[in-house]
Amino acid sequence: MKKILFLASLFTFMSIAELNAQTNIEPSKNQQVSVKVDGLACPFCAYGLEKKFKEIEGVSDIKIDIDKGVLTFQMIDGKEVSEDQIRKQVKYAGFTPREITFSGTKVKIEDGKS
Amino acid sequence: MKSNFFRFFLFLVAAFILKNVHAQGPPIYTGTPILLGLEGGGVRTFGKYISKENASAYVQPFVVPYNVMTKFQIGGIVPFVSKSPEGLERKSGIGDVAVFAKYLLWQKDGSGKTFRVLGSIKETFPTGNTDGMPTLGSNAYQTQIGLTAGYVTTKFGIYGDLGYNITSNNLPDNLIYNFAFGVPLLPQKYPPKQLNLFLEFTGTYDTDNQRNNLFIAPGVQFIAGRRVLFESGVQLPIVQNVSEGQKTNFIFLFGTRILIF
Repeated sequence: MKKILFLASLFTFMSIAELNAQTNIEPSKNQQVSVKVDGLACPFCAYGLEKKFKEIEGVSDIKIDIDKGVLTFQMIDGKEVSEDQIRKQVKYAGFTPREITFSGTKVKIEDGKS
Repeated sequence: MKSNFFRFFLFLVAAFILKNVHAQGPPIYTGTPILLGLEGGGVRTFGKYISKENASAYVQPFVVPYNVMTKFQIGGIVPFVSKSPEGLERKSGIGDVAVFAKYLLWQKDGSGKTFRVLGSIKETFPTGNTDGMPTLGSNAYQTQIGLTAGYVTTKFGIYGDLGYNITSNNLPDNLIYNFAFGVPLLPQKYPPKQLNLFLEFTGTYDTDNQRNNLFIAPGVQFIAGRRVLFESGVQLPIVQNVSEGQKTNFIFLFGTRILIF
C-alpha cells in the first residue's frame, strides 16, 4: 500500500514538474510576428514597409508576401515589440494594419484603426 | 496604319490581362498617387528626344522628390534643354526650373489593393534663357494644380491625371489629362525583378485657343531591384491642333529612377 502511494506521489510530482516546465517557458528567443497589411499592392510599397520595420530594434528576417499582403519577421533574443508599435509602423509606412499574429496568437484590428 | 497598330497593341495588353497579372510599378508619363518607395519617391531623370516638323529638341530633367511625411511630398525639377530648329544654330542650357508639392487626400486600402487620390501644385519659374532664338524657356510663370488618382491591385493598375496650368504673360492656359494602364510580364516576387508594360494617353487642351493635342504612349519598364528601375516609352500623336510646321512626329523617352532617401 505504502509502495503504491509512494509511486503515485512520485508520478504526480513528475507530471506537475513537467507541466510547470512547459508553462514556465521564457518568452521565445525568436518570436515570430506576422502582420496582415492592407494596401500592399506594389513592390515598391513593400520596400517602404520593410524599411520602416527595420527601424525597430530587434527586428530581423523580414519577409513580405505581396500576394497575401503579409509581413513576417522575428525578434532577436530578448527584444520585444508591442502591438501598438507594429500598428504605428505600418501606418507610418503608409498602409493599413489589419491583423497581427504573435507566435500563433491573433490580434484583429477593427477597421485598421490604431 | 496607326489605327491597326493601336488595335494590335490593345489586343496585346488584353492578352496579358487575361494571364496572371500582379502589382506593377509607377506609370512612365502619368502621375501616381502612391508616394511610397520608388513608386513615388525616387530621384528621376530621363532623356526625351522630341522630333517635330521643323525642329528637334532634347530635354533631360532631374526630378528630386522628398517625402516630408508619409502623405506629403515636396520636390524640385531642373531641366537641361537643347533645341535645334531648322535653319538656326542649336542652343542648350538650363530650362525653366520648377518646384512642387503633393499631398495624399484620400486613401482606401483593401487586401492586395489600394485606391488613392493625390492633390498637387507645381510652380514653374522663367529661368530658361529667352535671349534670341531658339528660346530655352517659356518666359512665363506657370502654376499647375492637379489631381492624380489610382486604383492599384495585385492584378492591375489604373492611373489618371487631371490638371490645369495657369500661365502668365498672356500665354495660353492648358488643361492636362493623362491616363495609364500597366501590367507586369514576369511572375511577381519580392525583392522585385519585374518587367512592366504600360499603355498611356497624354493630352493637353489649350483653353484659350480651343486646341486639343492627344498622344498615345506605350512604354516598357524594368525594375532591377528595390531601389532602381529603368524605363522607356514613345509618344505618338493621335490628335494634333498646332500651328503650321509645329506638328510633332514622335517623342522618345529613356530614363531611370533611383531611391536615395
